[in-house]
Amino acid sequence: MEETRLPDEIKTVMQNGVPAILVSCSADGIPNTTIISQVYYVDRERVALSFQFFNKTVRNTRENPHVCLALTDFENSANWLLYIQYDHSESEGPIFDEMDMQIEAIASATGMSGIFKLKAADIYRVKSVRKIPYGPATLR
Amino acid sequence: MMKQQANSDKLVEELARKRAEVDILRQISLEINSTLNPEEIFDIVLRTMDELFGFHHSIILLPDGSGETLYVAASRGYEDPSPGAKVAVGTGIIGVVAKKRKLMRASNLSQQRRYAATIRKQMQEAGRAYELEEIAQLPGLPDAESQIAIPLMIKDRLIGVFSVESSEQKIFSELDEILVTIVANQAASAIHNAQLYAAEEQRRKELAEAHERLKQLNETLEVRVRDRTKELEEANRELRETQAQLVQSGKMASLGMLAAGIAHEINNPIGAIHSNADVQSRTISIIQDAFKNPVLAEQIRENPALSRAFTMLQSTNNVNREATGRIVKILRSLKSFARLDQAELESVNLHEGIDSSLTLLQHLLKDRIKVVKNYAPLPGVRCYASQINQVFMNLLTNAAQAVDGEGTITITTGLEGEEVVVGIADTGSGIAPDHLARVFDPGFTTKGVGVGSGLGLSITYRIIEGHHGSIGVRSEPGKGTAFTVRLPVSGPGR
Repeated sequence: MEETRLPDEIKTVMQNGVPAILVSCSADGIPNTTIISQVYYVDRERVALSFQFFNKTVRNTRENPHVCLALTDFENSANWLLYIQYDHSESEGPIFDEMDMQIEAIASATGMSGIFKLKAADIYRVKSVRKIPYGPATLR
Repeated sequence: MMKQQANSDKLVEELARKRAEVDILRQISLEINSTLNPEEIFDIVLRTMDELFGFHHSIILLPDGSGETLYVAASRGYEDPSPGAKVAVGTGIIGVVAKKRKLMRASNLSQQRRYAATIRKQMQEAGRAYELEEIAQLPGLPDAESQIAIPLMIKDRLIGVFSVESSEQKIFSELDEILVTIVANQAASAIHNAQLYAAEEQRRKELAEAHERLKQLNETLEVRVRDRTKELEEANRELRETQAQLVQSGKMASLGMLAAGIAHEINNPIGAIHSNADVQSRTISIIQDAFKNPVLAEQIRENPALSRAFTMLQSTNNVNREATGRIVKILRSLKSFARLDQAELESVNLHEGIDSSLTLLQHLLKDRIKVVKNYAPLPGVRCYASQINQVFMNLLTNAAQAVDGEGTITITTGLEGEEVVVGIADTGSGIAPDHLARVFDPGFTTKGVGVGSGLGLSITYRIIEGHHGSIGVRSEPGKGTAFTVRLPVSGPGR
């Protein structure tokens, strides 16, 4: 069932930290797929993605704000498919700080402080969310 | 209906669970606040996490004071408890929590580590290894999957970090986060109280030690002041004695020079008079022989005035001879007493010194005091003659002044082993017992104003002491006083 607001149960999936698959598309229609390590639950209508070094994705989202995000929910044997729209970027504030802290913790422990650096928290509005029982997630 | 029942059962179960957790938290609160021992507080917190909440791996870290590092103060559930292991502020989850001072709940950590490792490997392969840092060696589970780390704060001050972690796929829930936060806050408060108590105890101990040191310092100071005062008093006394001795020595030297000068000046005219008296005596004898002529004898007999004139001439000439003889003796004594030409250690006949002093004191002795000399044969004594003469002069002067009216001064000398002993005893008024111990103190005198300076016996004592000898006194009021001087024959060894 398709929703426009994020359900509570998706919080755990996001916290699980399993890298999610993000698909963006340039203004001239060329898609790009990338893996992101962190999806941050802001509220029922918004999520935040870390803007670190995936320059093509950033460029695409600035040209074409419509993005698709696929999350894997191992505990419930399901995938989640979110259609989201880029809204704005935050380079300070509580959302940025929270995401920055997570990235800094892993980066400093793995000797990657100079690599994993949060440049901004990109805030996306949720357009729709759908839970799909196991099986590969399909794009609509 | 069945669904409603199931929901109801679930709510009851949830309520029971929450009630049990509240009870646990209350129990922890009571336990944790019942002690001020940090080790016990750590144990309560870690044990509670393990046994009651099922968080089997937990760790408490405290700042080491540098502001840059934390160290493991206590841990539970680890094969290697790593006590004292360090975590740099800003490194790893615990280090970042300490740096940001914010709680952090992380999950799926192995996945994130793998992701980081992949990127790391790709960078190394791409020749960008120089951008990488060393992987941190951190305490805790090497294969942790999830972790909650919470800063222990008192107001704005970080007093530690508390962390629970798990290597299972289990994810800490928001409820877990709340429980850990409550316990951590209790722990922070308890640790802070324990630290304050320890600091207060330390401060009290340091204060007590400082007080004790101060007390000892005061005591030492008092002793030092007392010792120093005593030293100063002693130095002052010695200074006065030395000063008195210098003055007396100066006076004696002046007197000696004066006496020697007078003796020298008088000696010549007296010598002439003395010689003339001899000449006159011989002349009178010649005249008397001439008068043996019967004619002249008859004429003298017929002239009694002439006869008396001759007799008177003879008598006065005899008196003159005796007088000049005495003057010569006095002059010799003066010269002997002063001994200006003998300022070095020398072998001295003490009897000569005593006799010289007696001659010079004749005006005090006159006919009222009988001097008895019990002289034994003495060897020469190595001493400073002028100083020893001063001793005899002082003792004999005192003896003469102590005799009111007629009396006796008995001078006894003898040899005892390697020492010469000189006793000077008088039959004077004696010394009161309470004065006897002070007679050698400088300035002490029982004589009237202008009679004694109180320095004579003090100087005497110093001179004898300087010759490595000794002086003693015995006295009985109304019967007399006896001084005994002992001097080593070999002298003071200087």
